[in-house]
Amino acid sequence: MEFGEKMEYKIPEGLYYSKEHEWVKVEGNVARTGITDYAQSKLGDVVYVELPEVGKQVKQVAEPKSKEMELGAAESIKAVSAIYSPLSGVVKEVNEALRDKPELLNTNPYDEGWICVLEPSALEAELKNLMDAKAYAEYIKTLE
Amino acid sequence: MKHLPLEEAHKEAGAQFVEFAGWWMPIQYSSISEEHMAVREHAGLFDVSHMGEFLITGPGALEFLQHITTNDVSTLSEGGAQYSTVLNDRGGVKDDVVIYRMGKARFMLVCNAVNVEKLEKWFIDHCPSNVEIKNISESTVLLALQGPKAQQILESLTPADLRAIRRFNGAWIEVAGTQCWVSRTGYTGEDGFEIFFVDMKDLEPAVKTWKTLLSAGEKLGLKPCGLGARDTTRIEAGLCLYGNELTEDTTPLEARISFVVKFEKSDFIGKNALLQRKQQGLRKVRVGLRMLDPGIPRKGMKVLSQGEPIGTITSGTFSPLLKQGIAMGYVPPNFDFGQQVEIEIHGRPRRAELVKWPFYDKKRYGWTREG
Repeated sequence: MEFGEKMEYKIPEGLYYSKEHEWVKVEGNVARTGITDYAQSKLGDVVYVELPEVGKQVKQVAEPKSKEMELGAAESIKAVSAIYSPLSGVVKEVNEALRDKPELLNTNPYDEGWICVLEPSALEAELKNLMDAKAYAEYIKTLE
Repeated sequence: MKHLPLEEAHKEAGAQFVEFAGWWMPIQYSSISEEHMAVREHAGLFDVSHMGEFLITGPGALEFLQHITTNDVSTLSEGGAQYSTVLNDRGGVKDDVVIYRMGKARFMLVCNAVNVEKLEKWFIDHCPSNVEIKNISESTVLLALQGPKAQQILESLTPADLRAIRRFNGAWIEVAGTQCWVSRTGYTGEDGFEIFFVDMKDLEPAVKTWKTLLSAGEKLGLKPCGLGARDTTRIEAGLCLYGNELTEDTTPLEARISFVVKFEKSDFIGKNALLQRKQQGLRKVRVGLRMLDPGIPRKGMKVLSQGEPIGTITSGTFSPLLKQGIAMGYVPPNFDFGQQVEIEIHGRPRRAELVKWPFYDKKRYGWTREG
């Protein structure tokens, strides 16, 4: 990156975003989640993803954070980063492909690199706690 | 915070920095995995100028080193290098060091950055009047050129015959026009050289040499490497790090580096405590661990056997070469290589096997490789 050049992160429209850099895609009665392009770029090369167990109950991330809000972890060689749940609910499905190809988090964070599908327990109310693409773009500017 | 004389050159090479042992150090340039594989398959260039160096000279220098280190310095011929430890009175490791014999009564001792001040005080406290100790850490640049292509790359910068420098030996040679102390040593398990710009008034030649080496080696796959790859390569090689495998409460016997302890030489600090420890039996021993289940072991994690805690991980990482989690740690001495244990990772026990180091196949990687 040249000095002075601004790093551009992909932030697709139509998704909801958490301050912890997870995204939510509403698919009928369920919600697919993953981590954002910004999150993967800060992590560096992901070499292992700790996935939640199907059936796990999770709470929407809020301060102070707790174990019940964790979906799992993304690990690079040098660091472990918790993945927080952007919604409360039950884990219905996890992305098994990440067990053999954790690098999908880096290469395709919004599609092939999804983390899990949740059955949300309070979807309408909790979406209000998340940001849309425009608000998230503004938010990460404050972090740079 | 201390800054490397080569900091600007690292920025130009795209380095990301972290604080380490009071220094602002490159952690990576491209990616840790890529840099790691460059070292294993081609070559990597590390700036490890944060390391401490002492010149120890004078008629009493040999005797002094025999007293404060555990290995037998009298076996070192001129040009020889030796891995050793400095112990406290309890036989615990104050630091692990490399001693170079540059002349009959002239030695250079290389230590860990975090221990420079501690050792300086320790040396001065134990130094007789016929020994001079000079801390040259700030005026010395150390570049480590590591990997199977290291010799070929360095050959293009020196008129010296590098084949004459054997493993664990060093010599004064000209590198890109500057007299350097160059030794065939390193911290990656690979063949390679450590190039010392010793106690220089002007460190500009070192900056130039860094750049010249990188461009000379580019075609051969040489990459600049940061502390990230330094850690992953040394763990794969099974080499100890002070603060992790070695501490003031761990003896070299427990760390399984007893080859650095020569009981038959004259008296040395920590000898009685070590003999006592040997007699009473070791409390713990260092082992290598390779994951059988998914997961990456990390420093501080618990080692379990059938659910019961038996030890602790001291270093762990994802091995870019083996593509799995590997670690070193301490377990009771009745546990042996080949046995299965568990490591508690993210709150769950995962199976791991106790293995010997290095973690890689010695016929294919490392300085003992064939062909």
